[in-house]
Amino acid sequence: MKRIINLDINGQAHEVAVGPHYTLLQVLRDELGLLGTKKGCDTGGCGCCTVLVDGKAMYSCMIFAMATQDRKITTVEGLADNAVLDPVQQAFIEAGAVQCGYCTCGMIMTTKAYLSSVGSHVPDDLEARRAIAGNLCRCTGYQKIVDAIRLAASRRIVAGSEKG
Amino acid sequence: MSETSIIGTSVLRPDAYDKVTGGRGFPVNVRLPGMLHGKLLRSPYPHARILRIDTSKAECLTGVRAVLVPSEVPKKKFHPVFFSPGMAASMIPDMLILSDTVRFAGEPVAAVAATSPEIAEEALDLIHVDYEQLPFVLDPEETMKQGAPQIHQHAPNNIAMNPSFAFGDLEKGFEEADYVFENTYQTQRVHTCYMEPRVCVVDSDTFGNLTVWSSTQHLFGLREKLASALDIQVSKVRVVRPPYIGGGFGGKLDIGFIEPISALLSMKTRRPVRIEQTRYEDFITTARNPFKVVLKTGVKKDGTFVARSAKSILDTGAHATHGAVVLMVHGMYGFLLPYRCPNSKWEGFTVYTNNMIGGGFRGYGVPQAAFAVESQIDEICEKLQLDPIEFRLKNSHSEGQPHPFDPSSKLDTYRFADCLKQGAEAIGWSNGRSRARGTGTKRRGIGLACQPLWVSGCVGFPDIYEHSGAVIKLNADGTADLSMATIDMGSGQITTLSQIAAAELGVPAGAVRMTYADTETVPFDAPSHASRVTYSAGNAAKVAAGAAKKRLLEVAGPMLKTTPDNLETGGGRVYVKGAPDRSLPIADVVKQAESPYVRMVPDGMQRTSLQEKGTVIGVASLAPTANPSPATAEFVEVEVDTETGEVKVLRVVYAHDIGRVINPAGAEGQVEGGFQQGMGYALMENLVFDQENGACLTADFLSYKMPTALEMPPEIKSVFIESNEPTGPFGAKSLSEPCAIVPAPAIANAIYDAIGVRIRELPITPEKILTALGKLSE
Amino acid sequence: MPSAAVKEFLQPSSPQEVVELLVKYRERALVVGGGTFLHGIIARGLLGQMDVLIDLQKVGLSYVKYEHDTLCIGATTTFAELAASERVQNSPELGAVLDALCYPPAQIRNMATVAGCVASATPLFDLPVALMALDGAVRAAGPKGSREIGLHKFYLDYFEHVLERTELITEILVLRQPSRSASAFLKLETNANDLALLNVAVRITVDKKGTCRDARVVVGGGIGKVPVRAVSCEDVLKGQYPTAALLKESGNVVAFDIHPVSDYRTSAKYRSTVAKVFVRRALLRALDRLGMQLDEPS
Repeated sequence: MKRIINLDINGQAHEVAVGPHYTLLQVLRDELGLLGTKKGCDTGGCGCCTVLVDGKAMYSCMIFAMATQDRKITTVEGLADNAVLDPVQQAFIEAGAVQCGYCTCGMIMTTKAYLSSVGSHVPDDLEARRAIAGNLCRCTGYQKIVDAIRLAASRRIVAGSEKG
Repeated sequence: MSETSIIGTSVLRPDAYDKVTGGRGFPVNVRLPGMLHGKLLRSPYPHARILRIDTSKAECLTGVRAVLVPSEVPKKKFHPVFFSPGMAASMIPDMLILSDTVRFAGEPVAAVAATSPEIAEEALDLIHVDYEQLPFVLDPEETMKQGAPQIHQHAPNNIAMNPSFAFGDLEKGFEEADYVFENTYQTQRVHTCYMEPRVCVVDSDTFGNLTVWSSTQHLFGLREKLASALDIQVSKVRVVRPPYIGGGFGGKLDIGFIEPISALLSMKTRRPVRIEQTRYEDFITTARNPFKVVLKTGVKKDGTFVARSAKSILDTGAHATHGAVVLMVHGMYGFLLPYRCPNSKWEGFTVYTNNMIGGGFRGYGVPQAAFAVESQIDEICEKLQLDPIEFRLKNSHSEGQPHPFDPSSKLDTYRFADCLKQGAEAIGWSNGRSRARGTGTKRRGIGLACQPLWVSGCVGFPDIYEHSGAVIKLNADGTADLSMATIDMGSGQITTLSQIAAAELGVPAGAVRMTYADTETVPFDAPSHASRVTYSAGNAAKVAAGAAKKRLLEVAGPMLKTTPDNLETGGGRVYVKGAPDRSLPIADVVKQAESPYVRMVPDGMQRTSLQEKGTVIGVASLAPTANPSPATAEFVEVEVDTETGEVKVLRVVYAHDIGRVINPAGAEGQVEGGFQQGMGYALMENLVFDQENGACLTADFLSYKMPTALEMPPEIKSVFIESNEPTGPFGAKSLSEPCAIVPAPAIANAIYDAIGVRIRELPITPEKILTALGKLSE
Repeated sequence: MPSAAVKEFLQPSSPQEVVELLVKYRERALVVGGGTFLHGIIARGLLGQMDVLIDLQKVGLSYVKYEHDTLCIGATTTFAELAASERVQNSPELGAVLDALCYPPAQIRNMATVAGCVASATPLFDLPVALMALDGAVRAAGPKGSREIGLHKFYLDYFEHVLERTELITEILVLRQPSRSASAFLKLETNANDLALLNVAVRITVDKKGTCRDARVVVGGGIGKVPVRAVSCEDVLKGQYPTAALLKESGNVVAFDIHPVSDYRTSAKYRSTVAKVFVRRALLRALDRLGMQLDEPS
């Protein structure tokens, strides 16, 4: 039996009819046409489906859509401000961290959540790796993704200091 | 802006912006109005005959639009591999789209198209199949014995292929040897793990013309093999080039079952049909298959090879698919060719079992060979107290010598020695190796492995396509649209080709865009495989750009009041050689070419020139004339916990004679990604099957272990040696497979250096290490 | 994709309501915490007749608080929330819990709930093993009221615990630990997102002189149907002053208490071998938290 639910995605309200078993990933991709969140395994093993729920990184393939009604969902579509990229997105491009790109949006969401949770701290190599331990990549060997995370983090310091 | 400001620069990937904001271009995102969803019913048995299929209940389910069973598919067998013609003599056509004999657990037996994936899934449960189970065999040596179940009629003793090659006098060679080493090596079955699943959408019209979108590594191969499987003309199939795909690594180099099934369902329903495989299905769709390699090697006490023989057994699974070519590449580039030896013999077997089918995977038979060969070299050096670097140099080819595969050509650029020397220096080889092994719980070691010979494409190999084409046209705003069939699977093909075209044209890197293509609009390109795109497709892009540039200069000549041969381009401008102040923006030249022959001016009409009119365009379609070899040496430092057997990789140095680096960040990215795959292969990846029924036990990412960021070393250093290959675009040769081939033997050799135990079976798990150390308790 | 066999997704707003729903739907009901374990069940088609999901998000059981001296962890507290709590961060006696919570990746830590983990009754999970070393307990609410069950008595078999179908775990309880206690947890895994091949949790309690007064050693992972309390290891330590040799001896006797399994991931022998090492290393880690450093024998 489908039910109409209201979801807050990237600050926008969406009304959608869902079955009780529908995952958030399924709703994003198949019902709402938000294709930035990817399905890599559908079993919570690869991280391609990572979104933020109330600012926390989660596997959207493992969340029931009905359980997300009163929570704030952020997907990759909610990051850039028109043509102006989020600093994490920009850092991924510049550090050469994007190859096939399939894991990229999940990596970016995980990175966003991680950086917001550590204030102005710039992670060292191990910390950055730990932050993305739940996101698989087969193309890059993770090296330049780690570089991108640290680049984005270090730029926050500069941006912060520029604000005075 | 000269060529050197584009070639050798880490130009940002043009597709990166799209990918970080959502990645619209993946084939998995293709949606068509009225699209139906297909699902495959798969056999639970590894070997069975289908006696009866009853689809009546499934057909009645609301939302089901069509069902497909074996009796409805063409009966002509085909081989699914893209890079080889359908009728190639060296390939083995042993597949049908749906067969009434299933040969591996998971082989499709029927399919459904419905209005939603859930309804399709539900319909599968309503299909009743009566199977007659048959005896099955999963072991590649058991399968060759008398009495083993016969898997295909055409292959007695289940041997699909049994080539052998011999040179010199092997017996004499072994007599002359001071030492003879005999060792057996075994590798495991692993999965490609591309992150975007296999997915396709096929649309059809009333005349049976098909349009196909697919996550594929070869546009024209998909067209040809789909037509072949459906037994229709090639011109009835149009394959649309995806802007990019989410990884391939060789795992998308053949038609899976999904494209032909989707096509047949589309033709039945007159609607587009989409099939997306689940990750479980992907795990049982393609693999790097296991090899057993038996090496017998004779050397002089100074380390010179005098006799080498090898026997390799490849378990190709239920259908040959890539097995014929994987075997040959393994034998040639894995064993016979990389080193010199006057007397050698190799014999290979590709055998059928009721295991899952295989596909391509980076290195294509050679990771399995390199594990054996490079490990054994290390064993020989240890026993004879020889330096592993000197040993390899002593037995390797040299620059300027005839190419071992095609002696009519030469190894024009070949810097294997430099790879060894520079890599050794970067890792601190002599210090590391002379250090005492130590007695602590954690022990460190350094290992070396090489791939002394490789390919840049496939020219010269029997029954493998190798030619590329490109169309490039300039726009009146100074940009250029490059149209090629080449697939970007993440290795940066779009970036590289755009850079090459831009450098040749003389425009800024960002001015060349890779644009729309399908099999009706562009020339043929061979697949994105065999480390060929930079060298082969890059060459085509360069030649096409050169042709466009020639046309551009013909138009510009009169504008600059000189002859075309007196002009050059650079930085987006055309200028007179030696007089750079006499120049014009390329955009203006193109405008001139495209503007009307006659234009109105204040005092009447003005004629320009008819000869200059037309699109400034360049087209190329050609085969490369050579197949130059890169060379590779990798040094790895590991730390082994001798109480748990766990291995940590600490440092990696990878040295590679690349000819010329087109994009440094891209090249490093290949090395780093290749290491993840090679390290996974060495230490943890393994597709495991229940031996009672052939079912896959490791078909999700929790049970199939692949390295995460935490298992990777903090540092992978790439050393690129630029030998400037004369036949390559701007001097480039290939890169992408050797860096996935050498990590496993390098790690195995490093483990030996750390703890003195030799493990000749992959993956080298902690348990195997403790077993070899004699530390497993009761 | 989860099976369309799920018919209802209910979101009650109190533990009492949950119990009422469990009574109403019985065999059809399945309680959802974070959904991480449940998802695997659904994906493998193991739901059976369970088609009513009862989501616990709104029942008000997300908290970490102290009742007298007992740490009361609300059932739906996530791993991340528990790990971030000040007491867990700073108490050596709760070290095993902190260690266990740090292994999974961020996404799991943000979703998985403490009670969901305990209720899954798989010995391959980490937190229950850590909690057992601290003599943790489950508080459950049912139609007949509330009861507490020590974790050592909670598990019966793979995926089976002592609770009735109509009972709901409302809290995980960790009683006040004996003074001068520290605990630690180690997990053997192949990569960073893995179920334990083997895991070990220890708690050691010393007197003013550093002599061991009490110990707990619990082993989980592929060692059988339920986590095992390795009493033999504990007995070696009691009344002794911890030395490198003593810890090694304690580790060595773990084989008497565990019966590891062989599966496609690794063998029983390997698990036994590493169990000895991990007991020793976990004890070292716990002692380090007490400020007692031992020299490792070479």
